[in-house]
Amino acid sequence: MTQTPAIELKNVGRRFGALQAVRDVTFDVAMGERRAVLGPNGAGKTTLFNTICGDFPPTAGTIKLFGEDISHLPAHTRARRGIGRTYQQSLLFDGLSVLDNIFVAVRGVKLNRFSFLVPGRSDAHLAHARDVAERVRLTHLLDVNVGDLSHGQRRQLEVGMALAAEPKLLMLDEPAAGLSPVERPELLRLLQNLPRDLTIVLIEHDMDVALPFADLVTVMKDGEVVVSDTPGRIQNDPVVHEIYLGHGGRKH
Amino acid sequence: MSAWLRTPVGMASAATLALLLLLPAILPELMPQNQARFWLANIFGRAIIYGIIAMSLIFLATYGGLVSLAQMSLAGVAGYVVAITIDGAAPSIVGGLSYATAIPLGIAAATLAALFVGLVSVRTRDIYLLMITLALAMGFFRFVETNLAWFNGYEGIRNVLGPSVFGLPFRDPHVLYYVSLTVAVLLYAGVLYLVRSPFGLVLQGIRDNPRRVAALGYNVALHRIAAFGVAGFIAGCGGVLATIYNIGISPGSIGLGATVNVLIMSVIGGLGHPIGAFIGSLIFAFFDTFAASIYDRNRFNTLIGIVFLVIVLLSPDGVIGLAKRVGALMRRD
Repeated sequence: MTQTPAIELKNVGRRFGALQAVRDVTFDVAMGERRAVLGPNGAGKTTLFNTICGDFPPTAGTIKLFGEDISHLPAHTRARRGIGRTYQQSLLFDGLSVLDNIFVAVRGVKLNRFSFLVPGRSDAHLAHARDVAERVRLTHLLDVNVGDLSHGQRRQLEVGMALAAEPKLLMLDEPAAGLSPVERPELLRLLQNLPRDLTIVLIEHDMDVALPFADLVTVMKDGEVVVSDTPGRIQNDPVVHEIYLGHGGRKH
Repeated sequence: MSAWLRTPVGMASAATLALLLLLPAILPELMPQNQARFWLANIFGRAIIYGIIAMSLIFLATYGGLVSLAQMSLAGVAGYVVAITIDGAAPSIVGGLSYATAIPLGIAAATLAALFVGLVSVRTRDIYLLMITLALAMGFFRFVETNLAWFNGYEGIRNVLGPSVFGLPFRDPHVLYYVSLTVAVLLYAGVLYLVRSPFGLVLQGIRDNPRRVAALGYNVALHRIAAFGVAGFIAGCGGVLATIYNIGISPGSIGLGATVNVLIMSVIGGLGHPIGAFIGSLIFAFFDTFAASIYDRNRFNTLIGIVFLVIVLLSPDGVIGLAKRVGALMRRD
């Protein structure tokens, strides 16, 4: 018997008025797999992500998470089912401290998430938030207002907040976007050190980041899946070269 | 707590509280007895009472990013429930209840009404939220104004004298002042506590980024409605006090003017910290009372309008913002 995939997408489509942003996308991501989704700008990668995470429901097809149909569940319910995500442009709580950002992220999937009681110093969720901060190397900035962080630190926090709730499926939307050459390797190390049993889907523009990281690569264009294959074959696929590398002209 | 008291904010808060507690003893030293009593009840007492209502608006605006114009109406819900149900009001509509029962009932009604406002407006933000809460407020105002059976229409309900406190009448300026101050301090401390709780942090998260809050597993709508409930509770407490302060309630006290006044107080004080509500309310009460001696009673709106403009032009985040900037300048020198 084959294991239930972490995600099963069947004929998933998303339309905004006259624009068909995602069309007929079908693929599975196995448990523990690391999948990269590549494609030029406007290929529908982020829309597909948002459809999986529940920002909006698909207009066609079904999405299953660990075998359960989640196509029409709201985002917060999907998060409680085990999806953690980052955003292409950091969506953080700028008015709160780094620790409070992570603390809020830790508690979102807990049963007592709605509480009027201020946590004590020895609160287990607060302690866990500090551990997460250490994992993403922000321990020295715990009390700093997030609005005052540098871009690189914001990206680290973005990943930290996605990890804080210990998701079973991690969705990373261009986590390295806008990072300097100094910051980039640090973030990559962070991603590579994530537990091997965590299922990860990664949207990435940069082949140098995506290919060493992924077990399988899915290439999208104009809202459709063009090809799904191993990184080695993708690198040598003439179609991929044509639609992706050909136009980008910089990555090998 | 003791560490907090050593911070500049802690020291300033403790000093302000001490000053407010001693105010009834200080005022008679500065002015004749009858003027001191007037200042205590009609300037400071009133500022504290309306400050509570303004704080309910500031709580929603500062921590939830939700500017609601329904807060004065919610205060009115509590005031009307008390006026309708207590013994001795004129006219007596339901009557029969003591203040000990009617006041909690009024506050509960305001909280429930606020949850309803939260539910109705849950999908709106910014200008749309402002409009929908204004529409609800004006709907309630018109309903009250035209309904004779329950609200005695335009006349309203008089003779709501308030309970006696330790054998003293509520109308005594000292009683009015100290009761209002106690309620305000408790609610203020409650707000400062609440915004550090998980609920308060999530609410601030919703203000900054509702999409992210949902992606973390929180029900954004539920938190927003609960925030309205909390604000309704605060407004309800203020509404009960305001009704007793005014010895009754009429549609005029929840009309468009009263609704906008709460917003003006909040903006003058500063939408950035709950203390702004009381600063704004004090400035408002001062100008409202002394417009006649400063210029002309009938020119109050012009006067408060000018004060509003000057403060907003000088400091878009109100008196608090101004104080913060002055503080920063002083630290730099």
